[in-house]
Amino acid sequence: MNYKDIAEKIIKNITRLGVDEAEVYLESDRNLSLRIRNGDVETVKQSSTKGIGLTVYKDRKLGFSYTSDFAEESLDEFAKRTVQLAEVADPKPWNGLPDFEKEETQKDLDLWDSSIPEIKNETKIDIAKKVEKIALSYDNRIKNSTGAGFNDSESETIIVNSKGISRSFRTTGVNFSVSVIAGEGNNMQSGGWSSSKRHFKDLATIESVAKEAGKRAVAKLGAKPVKTAEVPVVFDRYAAGTFWYGVLFAMNGDGVYKKTTFLTDFLGKPIASERITLTDNPTIPRHIGSAPFDGEGKITRENTLVEDGILKMFIYDSITARKAGVKVNTIAQRRGYKSPAYANFLNISVKNGNIHREKIIEGIDAGFYVTGLRGIGTDIPTGNYSVGASGFWIDKGEIAFPVDGITLGGNTLEILQNIELVADDLDMRGTLNSPSFKVTKLAVGGKR
Amino acid sequence: MKAYFVPIKRRDFIKKSAVGGVVFATAPLWKLFSYSLPPPDMVSNPPIDLDMDTLRKLLSIAMENGGEFAEVYLEYNVSNSIGLDEDKISAAARGVDMGVGIRVLQGEKTGYAHTDDMSPDKLAETARVAGLIASGKAKQKSFDLSKKEIPNYYLVKTSPDSITPQEKAKLLWKANSVAREYDKRITQVGASFSDINKKIIIANSEGVYVTDDQTISRLSVSASAFENGKRSRGYAYKGGTLGYEHYDFQIAEELAKEAGRVTMAMLPAEDAPAGEYPIILAKGDCGTFFHEAIGHSLEGDGARRKTTCFWDKKGKMIASKIVSLADDGTVPGKRGSINVDDEGTPSQNTILIKDGVCTGFLYDKLNAKLMKTKSTGNGRRESYQHYPIPRMTNTYLMAGKDDPEDILKSVKNGIYIAKIGGGNVSPTTGRFVFSVPEGYMIEDGKITVPLKGIQLMGNGPDVLMNITMVGPDLEILGGGTCGKAGQGKPVSDGNPTLKVAKITIGGARIQRS
Repeated sequence: MNYKDIAEKIIKNITRLGVDEAEVYLESDRNLSLRIRNGDVETVKQSSTKGIGLTVYKDRKLGFSYTSDFAEESLDEFAKRTVQLAEVADPKPWNGLPDFEKEETQKDLDLWDSSIPEIKNETKIDIAKKVEKIALSYDNRIKNSTGAGFNDSESETIIVNSKGISRSFRTTGVNFSVSVIAGEGNNMQSGGWSSSKRHFKDLATIESVAKEAGKRAVAKLGAKPVKTAEVPVVFDRYAAGTFWYGVLFAMNGDGVYKKTTFLTDFLGKPIASERITLTDNPTIPRHIGSAPFDGEGKITRENTLVEDGILKMFIYDSITARKAGVKVNTIAQRRGYKSPAYANFLNISVKNGNIHREKIIEGIDAGFYVTGLRGIGTDIPTGNYSVGASGFWIDKGEIAFPVDGITLGGNTLEILQNIELVADDLDMRGTLNSPSFKVTKLAVGGKR
Repeated sequence: MKAYFVPIKRRDFIKKSAVGGVVFATAPLWKLFSYSLPPPDMVSNPPIDLDMDTLRKLLSIAMENGGEFAEVYLEYNVSNSIGLDEDKISAAARGVDMGVGIRVLQGEKTGYAHTDDMSPDKLAETARVAGLIASGKAKQKSFDLSKKEIPNYYLVKTSPDSITPQEKAKLLWKANSVAREYDKRITQVGASFSDINKKIIIANSEGVYVTDDQTISRLSVSASAFENGKRSRGYAYKGGTLGYEHYDFQIAEELAKEAGRVTMAMLPAEDAPAGEYPIILAKGDCGTFFHEAIGHSLEGDGARRKTTCFWDKKGKMIASKIVSLADDGTVPGKRGSINVDDEGTPSQNTILIKDGVCTGFLYDKLNAKLMKTKSTGNGRRESYQHYPIPRMTNTYLMAGKDDPEDILKSVKNGIYIAKIGGGNVSPTTGRFVFSVPEGYMIEDGKITVPLKGIQLMGNGPDVLMNITMVGPDLEILGGGTCGKAGQGKPVSDGNPTLKVAKITIGGARIQRS
């Protein structure tokens, strides 16, 4: 029996156990990862995993179980036990499967690269060796390697539920990375970079990944704190994602329902400078953050969360939306088969501006260019922002010296509203992508 | 100066459940994956099993290509959780993981493959794939497995897996009502009970055959309060390698009161200042600081690769001379306690820093061999899907001699850290950041205003040198799941009261010039 048949059979059988609704989420994948260090193969790991997450609703009570044991008799018992678990929970009127009315048909997003299973291990090892070698030779202050790796995977995701939904998609993934160490003794800094894609052909060049890792390791050597000041701050595109995490967490619909987020009263109102438009788009072909349906099996679509600074929607899954009594496009994520779906973004990007990052920096007399953030920084209930940061001091329009061990402090809403310039350097390399941007003023806390 | 600090005996509940003397639960007779009897109304899980002959055969296939070492790791894991939220039991959940991971070593090379398919063909193929890393002829063809007896450091009489979710729900209801009664400004209460019940078999080409029956349980309560536009949150838990006999209504009540106390204490909190301050870390709940800021830099993989800031510091002063640090997997009942690690090496107490001098690193088998030393019993893995790497168990700063009252009195203007929250560190630079769920100003040797948004920042090597006072009141209360290289692993940590002469505080209240 193939996996979809197994999923359909569980749903067919479970309706006989007196449940009102049920959903099977089945995930299977194969993964090969290689790790190289100092030119030699260090590890080769082959994985194959599969698992079912079963959600049942009985009298609006929720039961959830997962298993990786697919033996037929085990699955029967697994289903029975999940129904028993639903008996323990309290009923909630909003519990249940999503509505699947007026949906578009599932699109092929070109997430499967048939060439990936064919890549020879020698090719993978070559790529990892080469990226490490180039990174190590980037600068003579680079003394050591933490290793380079190559991973590839194939996976299949299936959702079958008692509303007649039976959907699946397959993806491939391919990734290579390297991390090197510059400096010695008490002055060591590590720097790493990677490229992750659905299709082998889409990967960044070995040279570009190696150089970025080398550049990152060397750039921060000799970093020091600066004196406390309130100055213009430029968030680099690759550090900015961490800032947006905090903003997106504050947009969680259940937090709004419980009034535990600082954005509770801001729907339809400006929360950011009019330069900011933020969208969730899991339908971009071949993209690493794309999926034809979400964690609840709903066909995905592009959603604009913030448009020209105005907060357009909060993030709900179907259950939290029903609970809050709102009619919205739901966005549900799944953290594998071991837990139920929950409201979360899938593939975020902040719209590009129209100025080069270099131009932004040139226009600053004294300021801070953030390239690393230690943590999210946003306190969701209050919007207070406080985070450890590293980067570079800007002096008279130029990068002057590396900075580390300082804090940025302020308020998330104020920061959003003070985004004065947005650069044109958006790079859609992950699932939370932002161009660099400049905040008019922010407190930089360092030495007293 | 207002006294915001709510002085209740917040440690009473922990002491009650702590081990008096050395009380080891008798080791349960090992029966291969015949799980403790499930409650009558629950369906049992099918047992899985690998006999000695199968294990020997798999080792021999794995070493066909001339590997130097082979190992089979079998796991059967049942996880249960039940949660209460918004005055309702939201869900009861259960999960089963099982599978086999096979590893082959040759020199610095590791080959690893795993499967959740227990058919003989699939197991054989997994062994073969793991062995592909090696090249050459089989060096070892016979494997003499003998069962190794191991001590027991778990405090488990009643498996939490044998308790119905209905029964566990009663504890959550108790905690919910106590926390809500604690103060009418408490508007949200959450409670959960979770347990992980893992059986493992480890067999390797050196003749090791070990089985272990691992239980980790946890009861936690959270509360949040709202008043005049201010919000706060408090949290308390009890957990460890503990059986269900360690939980009852009284424990639920004490945890609920503690969560309520923290929530109410932090409700009037003011924005933390930013800048350099002396800090005092309260005993017990601040050990995460040492786990993150120091421990990760003393793990043997980084030491071997020379990628951590301490790799060449063995035998050298890396801390002030009142600092001693241990990683001890043998403390009974703690969350990081293990009878054996995930390579079958017995757990031990490893002194990492003694009177300021770096005395060692934490090793698994591979890194120990390459460094020509012995495993310290720290080869741990999240599951059969991962190969083991050096990981901490229970990490704590050892007791000192300074009177905790004197420590507090010695600070004129500083920060009191009652509990430390989540943090992260770069082992290369030792640079860390931590959040602080409960902290206060210290003014003239007294704890005063509660503070929110405290971030502790700095680097491990500097902090070690700046520890100027250490109390005798060591407690190991911390507990969480440590993430490293994509693997989560339960750990615990602890500390006595101590003072760090200066550290950078990142807070929202940056003194603007």
